[in-house]
Amino acid sequence: MFKKEFKFSVFLLGIFTLISACSSGAELDTLNPKGPTSRSIDSLADPVFMIAGVVFLIIFGGTALLWLRFRDDHSDEEFPDQIHGNFRLEILWTLVPTLILAGVSVFTLITLSEINGTDDNVMALSVDGEAISWEPEVLVVGQQWWWEYRYYLDGLDGVDLSDARNLPPADIITSTQMVVPTGEEIELKITSRDVIHSHWIPALNGKRDAVPGRVSPWKIEADEPGVYFGQCTEFCGLSHARMRMQVVAMEPENFQAWINRQIEPALEPTTESSKRGKEVYESLCVRCHVVKGVNDETSIGADLVSNAAPNLTHLMSRTTFAGGIFNMYEPDGSLNRTQLEAWLRNAPEEKPAYAEGRRGMPNLGLDEGQIDDLVAYLETLGEKPTIETIAATEVE
Amino acid sequence: MTQTVEPQVESTSEDQTKHQPLGVYTRPKGGNGWRDWVTTVDHKKIGVLYGAAALFFFLIGGIEALLIRLQLATPNGTVLGADMYNQMFTMHGVTMVFLVIMPLAAAFANYLLPLQIGARDVAFPRLNALSFWVFLAGGLFLNTAWLFGDAPDGGWFGYAPNTGIVFSPGNGMDFYAIGLQITGIASLVSAMNLIVTVLNMRAPGMTLFKMPVFTWMILVVQFLLVFAVPVITVALFLLLFDRNFGSNFFNPVMGADPLLWQHLFWIFGHPEVYILILPSFGIISEVIPTFSRKPIFGYPFMVFSGIAIGFMGWGVWAHHMFVSGIGPISVAAFSLSTMFIAVPTGVKILNWMATMWGGKLLFNTPMLFATGVVSMFTVGGLSGVTHAVAPADTQQTDTYYIVAHFHYVIFGGALLGIFAGFYFWWPKVFGHMLGEKLGKLNFWLMLIGFNLTFGPMHILGLQGMSRRIHTYSPGFGFELWNMVETIGSFIIGLGVLFFLINIYVSAKKAKGQPPIGPDPWDARSLEWITPNPTPIHNFDEVPNIEELDDFWHRKYGKDENGKIVRIASAEEVCQDGSATDTHLPSPSYWPLVLALGFPFIGYGLIYSLWLCVPGGIMILMSIYAWAFEPPDDPEGNHGDHHEDTTGEVAEEVSVD
Repeated sequence: MFKKEFKFSVFLLGIFTLISACSSGAELDTLNPKGPTSRSIDSLADPVFMIAGVVFLIIFGGTALLWLRFRDDHSDEEFPDQIHGNFRLEILWTLVPTLILAGVSVFTLITLSEINGTDDNVMALSVDGEAISWEPEVLVVGQQWWWEYRYYLDGLDGVDLSDARNLPPADIITSTQMVVPTGEEIELKITSRDVIHSHWIPALNGKRDAVPGRVSPWKIEADEPGVYFGQCTEFCGLSHARMRMQVVAMEPENFQAWINRQIEPALEPTTESSKRGKEVYESLCVRCHVVKGVNDETSIGADLVSNAAPNLTHLMSRTTFAGGIFNMYEPDGSLNRTQLEAWLRNAPEEKPAYAEGRRGMPNLGLDEGQIDDLVAYLETLGEKPTIETIAATEVE
Repeated sequence: MTQTVEPQVESTSEDQTKHQPLGVYTRPKGGNGWRDWVTTVDHKKIGVLYGAAALFFFLIGGIEALLIRLQLATPNGTVLGADMYNQMFTMHGVTMVFLVIMPLAAAFANYLLPLQIGARDVAFPRLNALSFWVFLAGGLFLNTAWLFGDAPDGGWFGYAPNTGIVFSPGNGMDFYAIGLQITGIASLVSAMNLIVTVLNMRAPGMTLFKMPVFTWMILVVQFLLVFAVPVITVALFLLLFDRNFGSNFFNPVMGADPLLWQHLFWIFGHPEVYILILPSFGIISEVIPTFSRKPIFGYPFMVFSGIAIGFMGWGVWAHHMFVSGIGPISVAAFSLSTMFIAVPTGVKILNWMATMWGGKLLFNTPMLFATGVVSMFTVGGLSGVTHAVAPADTQQTDTYYIVAHFHYVIFGGALLGIFAGFYFWWPKVFGHMLGEKLGKLNFWLMLIGFNLTFGPMHILGLQGMSRRIHTYSPGFGFELWNMVETIGSFIIGLGVLFFLINIYVSAKKAKGQPPIGPDPWDARSLEWITPNPTPIHNFDEVPNIEELDDFWHRKYGKDENGKIVRIASAEEVCQDGSATDTHLPSPSYWPLVLALGFPFIGYGLIYSLWLCVPGGIMILMSIYAWAFEPPDDPEGNHGDHHEDTTGEVAEEVSVD
């Protein structure tokens, strides 16, 4: 029997050593920090994992030893000594764990204050040729089942955030992909329009819930340009699994260029097809979607679950759509027409939603001609990103 | 003159009324067959009923778990849709927590607690029956949601506002709110009953610190229930009113703070974790000493660490909310309190190991399961410390790392302990042993399957796989371990299957054979002084208790050299169950009828308020009948001979 037990312990050990080995390369890996906050979490968690591992080995090895050593071999009929306890031992194994945990808690408190503190970093930007200093801040709004990122370049201080369903107009609004400059601490204000969600980019920081009626502070910072994957981690209903997001970090000068493009309103369509597409947009899509220069955000009545839908002004600058689950582009850089058309044809088929309750994109009953026109119009909205970005942000 | 006569007349008619009040409220006779089971107030039968019902729900919850694992075996799984998956994981959690682990603990508590303290029954036998029937009514009510095609889909934690009428417009969450409300009544009634039993009905000489550790842990759990259940009751009522009567306790659009639900839920929910685990700690604190042939090491420390866990369990709830945005000060406070609750838990583990140290260990199936708890629960305890570290928890929470953690606690701790209890006390309850060969097979399959299922979840969680997602995409490195887990879960299923086969085979083998005889394990605590299976009246005579492990001390003493020697055989020490003069409480119909009223009210709240009328009438009439039924039935089979016709008997009987 002990042999089995031994084999089993080897197996378990294998599992625990594989934790580190197997997780490299995975895009949501929590043990592969790419920013200062996630790094301080990681450098706290790693020693705690090690302490836990050592204690586990002691207890497990101890149990195995007890099995081996004190197993009744039926060599005699004698009864073992009836030991009722040992006061000193009890005190010892109360105090030792207490001291270990006291040590851990000191480092916990230090890290806790680190990850909750904020820098007063200011970034120089120019907007419409005017120099401004921006304290990097992004308003993060969750809803079923996608994320919206709102940039207020004059700062969030004077902005009324009390009603996430009716927010003041922002300079830049994106969804599913948050674009940030590298080397800057970005303060996040996280809230929700409907139920509780949780915003999580494992490589950059832990989670923070998006709670309706509350605005929770959090922060992220990326060392290097790159794409960092995330996933909603608070159960938020039907398509919780299909609520994903990415942080795209770029060098400050590229970020400035991104800002310059994003604050522009949409261009007027030029081709016949895209003009017809705009008419379709204006007759149907404006109920929920916004294109800057065409229609404005409308207020959401208390009786409506949500009629917020992604801002489409620069749709083509984003490489994923429908809550970060579909690629906007093929690997060769051409539009992923098949998926986009399927989405317009019957969205609830592509991603579970309660469309009849106005949660999620409904089936609008478009005919094929309208779909073609609409795709032609959507293609005029925003600039296509580089092929490298398309490759880095690809989702499966 | 008349005044002197009248009292006599009154006394006679009162006496008659007590025995046959209008013929309406006669008590059932008991006897054999199914009638006996539905009217029983015997704590042992009720314990068996709890166990059987809980095992039934265990199979349902297990099938739900296997379906979840099938869906997640491969990326983009299509076994269940998103909607069905959400219902499945919600019902799996609710079932396993409220309808499996809690009632299995109640099964052991009901059966063993009176026996361990030397009592004839619990303090309130009819209330005891009520607890069971109300629990069963609530559990069945909850599961009928499947039949109406609308099971709860908001998670067992039911976070507002996702559970509100706007976001969960089906009836599922109503079944959740009402079903748990009903089972909550059962828990409360049972908790009161067992507390009174322990405090008032111990055998002479059995001071609190001579009680077995199992009895102690059950006592602590009952106090936790008394204080925790009202909190969830309040939360569920608020949810019910929000959903059905237009209130706005959790509606942020009307200014409510959804964190109110989280606080209420976890103030209940965290003590609930200890409600689930402490009975198992109690069970293995009986099993390990018996099979190590040593007394429990550090008895007072075992008791006080259990009490300490019970107390500290109230100060850690917000560790479920480290990322909810409750502010860094609260996070720091709850982080520290959570870390230090590991200390009394660690004390318990080390004391179990010290009990084994220097013993002569016999690895029968109960001991295998018990040592399984010691090692597997340790994994859960240690991963618990890693997310008590709040900054680390911001990465771990709501990932599979947490799923791994609490399955090591609830499955590796609570369930394996309960299986230890099954194998250990099976001869006590049914008079025959469960097969050792099948038992060992059951243990190893469950242990290996368990580790294959939940061990890799640590890895998946740290790799970033979220909880409660109905599917995942390829490319995140989740494929391998999910497949391993699904295979592991079916190995667990196989283990459970062997358990069921074991029950069947050993019952078949024992048929026609005489019962096992006294004290099959050379055990230590008082329940083994009664014959196996326990006779209806428990003890022939109430034993006088002189020591902790009094039963063992009746069998063993020291010779002149201080060596431990057998001084009496089990046959000499154990009672033979031949007593016939023990007065026993009579069976009653009313606990069952009362309990059946609750589902009517439940369906009424969901489908048509008119249905509440018959439900309400059933409940009120049952309470009335309960109060007015005679204390016992003169013809009833309850061991009381009723030769005494002066009416004194009626005065003497308890008011159960």
